[in-house]
Amino acid sequence: MKMKKIALALCSLSIAFTSCGDDDDNNAVKPDPVVPNQEEVITNINFTLTPTTGTPVVLKFEDLDGDGGNAPTITGGTLKANTTYTGVLELLNNQNGKSENVTEEIIEEDEDHQLFYASSIKGVTIAYTDKDADNNPLGITTTVTTGDAGMGNINLKLRHQPNKSAEGVKEGKIGNAGGVTEADVTFDINVVE
Amino acid sequence: MLLSKLNFFLVLILPLVGFSQNCELTLTGSIKDIGTNEPIPYATLFINETETGTETDADGHFELSKLCKGHYHITLSHIGCESKKVFIELNESTTDVNLTMKHSIHDLHDVVLTGKSAPPTTQIAETLTEQHISDNANQSLATMVEAIAGVSTIKNGSGIAKPVVHGLWGNRINILNNGVPQSGQQWGADHSPEIDPLVANKITVVKGTASLEYMGTNLGASILVEPEKIEKEPHLHGKANYYFESNGLSNGVNAQLQQYTKKIGWKVNGTFKKSADKRTPDYFLTNTGTQEINFALQLEKEFSDKWHTDFYFSTFNTELGILEGTQIGNTTDLKKAFTEKEPQFTKNEASFDINPPKQQVNHHLVKLHSKYFIDFSQWLDVTVSAQLNNREEFDKRRGGRSNLPVQSLDQFSLFFETKYLNKISPSLTLKTGVQFNYINNQNDPITSTLPLIPDYISFKSSAYTVLSKKQGKSFFELGARYDNNIQNVASVINRRVERFKNEFHNFSTSGGWVYTATDHISLSYNLGYATRNPAINELYSFGLHQGVAGIEQGNNNLKTEKALKTTLGIKGDVHEKFSFEALAYFQKFDNYIFIQPRGELRLTIRGAFPLFDYKQTDAQIYGLDVLTNYNISPSFKLQAGLSYIIGEDTTKNEALVFIPTTNFSGGLSYEFPKPISIGKKQFENFKLALRNKYITQSRTTAEQDRISPEITVTPPDAYNLLDFTTSTDIQLNKTRLRITGKVTNILNATYRDYLNRQRYFADDLGINASIGLQLTF
Repeated sequence: MKMKKIALALCSLSIAFTSCGDDDDNNAVKPDPVVPNQEEVITNINFTLTPTTGTPVVLKFEDLDGDGGNAPTITGGTLKANTTYTGVLELLNNQNGKSENVTEEIIEEDEDHQLFYASSIKGVTIAYTDKDADNNPLGITTTVTTGDAGMGNINLKLRHQPNKSAEGVKEGKIGNAGGVTEADVTFDINVVE
Repeated sequence: MLLSKLNFFLVLILPLVGFSQNCELTLTGSIKDIGTNEPIPYATLFINETETGTETDADGHFELSKLCKGHYHITLSHIGCESKKVFIELNESTTDVNLTMKHSIHDLHDVVLTGKSAPPTTQIAETLTEQHISDNANQSLATMVEAIAGVSTIKNGSGIAKPVVHGLWGNRINILNNGVPQSGQQWGADHSPEIDPLVANKITVVKGTASLEYMGTNLGASILVEPEKIEKEPHLHGKANYYFESNGLSNGVNAQLQQYTKKIGWKVNGTFKKSADKRTPDYFLTNTGTQEINFALQLEKEFSDKWHTDFYFSTFNTELGILEGTQIGNTTDLKKAFTEKEPQFTKNEASFDINPPKQQVNHHLVKLHSKYFIDFSQWLDVTVSAQLNNREEFDKRRGGRSNLPVQSLDQFSLFFETKYLNKISPSLTLKTGVQFNYINNQNDPITSTLPLIPDYISFKSSAYTVLSKKQGKSFFELGARYDNNIQNVASVINRRVERFKNEFHNFSTSGGWVYTATDHISLSYNLGYATRNPAINELYSFGLHQGVAGIEQGNNNLKTEKALKTTLGIKGDVHEKFSFEALAYFQKFDNYIFIQPRGELRLTIRGAFPLFDYKQTDAQIYGLDVLTNYNISPSFKLQAGLSYIIGEDTTKNEALVFIPTTNFSGGLSYEFPKPISIGKKQFENFKLALRNKYITQSRTTAEQDRISPEITVTPPDAYNLLDFTTSTDIQLNKTRLRITGKVTNILNATYRDYLNRQRYFADDLGINASIGLQLTF
């Protein structure tokens, strides 16, 4: 008898709990979770190539919703054959409705960063024109020289904590650089006469 | 139940011996094996107070004479048994004392689970004893339970490990910390259970079909981490444990103190562990140092014969370094990491510094438990508990943000349980209960990153009933359980808040039969069915998981997973010379949830990342655990074991991803029959053992090996590990010292393990020698 009573009590207790759980909106997550500002994200890269005479060409990468989500938009460009351009790289975080300059952060930590450029087009070369605090290349500013006409791309990679003293790294060869890739973007390029 | 408790009490305290002022009292008694009830001959007894001793005779009897009235502590030791200390209050005329000892782990009779507070069960369970736990103080909970057949671990480097039982892990198994379902952050492969095993006196792995009385998922195994009740004795006692490991230069101390005063029983337990970078045979694993600080307080009070209450508080705090070379930017970096001989950023010396990438985890638990004995055959049990878990993960970040975690999650949970047990008749027992669990999980927005796991509140309400009946040589058990789970989720998807609400109903049922044919052979059979609703991470995780270089995407169309499991066990011995134990299991799943690369890349600023998503399939996991033991002589023993396991995706007719591999183990041990005397000291239970384990290569499909279209990583080769252990006990006046020595991976083999996520980047651990000192007073 006693046992039955206890069993009954336990059952009603369990029902009581279940119905608490059913109680709708009181149990929702409150308040709304904060959507954090993704401070570290790079959403935009503008690679501006200015010839000695004529209009600059701007290569653009934009991915406002960050990793995953919608695919980024990438804008390539047309360069003139046998021309020298001054290259300036700008990295931005435009995610939070305002523009944060990531280039400055990279210049502040210049010993820990390096950009690596490569092109699939024969005759296109990219040379560093800036140095970090240790007198090693950084790659925010460059000289881009074109050769004969051709089609292909320019790829740039930003590495965090590369080994700048490894062989070939100061000359812009990425093979031995190591480190962690923070940006890896490829622009379609058409070099015309 | 109360009766057996009373017996225990009587045995230990009341009936002991002669009463006289002239120190002419005599204490007689016998020592039996707790598992088999066989007398233990030639066991040694040593009275700490008088520093005298004796031995049991061939029938397990002993006699100690010329004792005064008073309190005595007697140390019992015997070949193949754990040393044990009993307390005796000598104040009556000569009485017979029945003492018990237990054989060490894997001497088959020890592995039967018959807890003091619960009736026997048909479920197959194996227990790690207090001595095994202290002897392996340098290990984490998961690596410790790996000593049990059928248990393996999923690791992320050497510091992060979680247990896998019969191929199931994480959300599919239950971990109970002192009776409370562990409520931590068990999302993926890179999270360890937040429990200090050194707090426990006993760790039990229930390998059966459905552990119906425990809250969690009931698909299979439960791991119970239990501190034992405080010994009812008025003197202050304690234990101190120190170890040093050569690999990682780790040091660890654990100290315990306990006393049962007239007012209250108390026990405190503290652990501190620190380790530098570990080492493979060829290089250091830079940034794999760890640090752990834990504390526990246990209080017990018996308000009356009928009402017992205990309180428990524990805090677990750890900082775990993650191999620096595992931090990668994109798949190109990942591809490079696979081909490099050693991980990048490797340094030439070990350091105790722990830098990002790292994890910081804090877990606190409080529990209040009361047991009320209605009469001799019924009791009621109530538990209230709260847990707070904070987990922070750090990566190397730009612009001085490395000190900001990239993930920071706080989880608060409440647990309530009422259990009722009734021994309806001497052979029939009813156990029933209700449980309620509330979890609130929140992301801390300080991270400046999007959360991987959403904020959510979960309610779980459950009820269960288990009936057990003994009939002749058979023991039957039948039970059922219902769980209701409500999830309220607020997720950030594409920078917008989206809300979800789910309600799930889970049903589990299980039946079992144990047939004890003779004293030398018993059979057990279990059949269980259980359902498990998809967990929050399986439904809603979203984002880039840097550690695995993949974009992980939950699937909110996942359905409840259903599993049918059956086990058949046999246990026995031949003339007590040869003993064996085998457990065959088969588990069939509908809608088995797993994560796998989709074979699709998502472009990001860092380049392309493979997309991992959660899928469902029909699957089966089956296997066989075998353990055999042959006593060539009482001193010399041979052991052989096998854990065979196969996981299959039955829809696609191929191997199931991330299932442990079959392994074989073999060992021999020698224990000196008599203590060895060096000077005045006696080295008792001096034991040497060699153990070898061979782990086979995993079977995978090309699709599972393909991380991205151009990167394929095949499972590592089979490997072999040889270990050596030695131990001895020394009585030093009133204290007892135990010295242990271990060398793992003696051959310094280079290997990688399929279930270690770090295998993509680095080799596993090289040779490691350790020494342990345990002082009991």
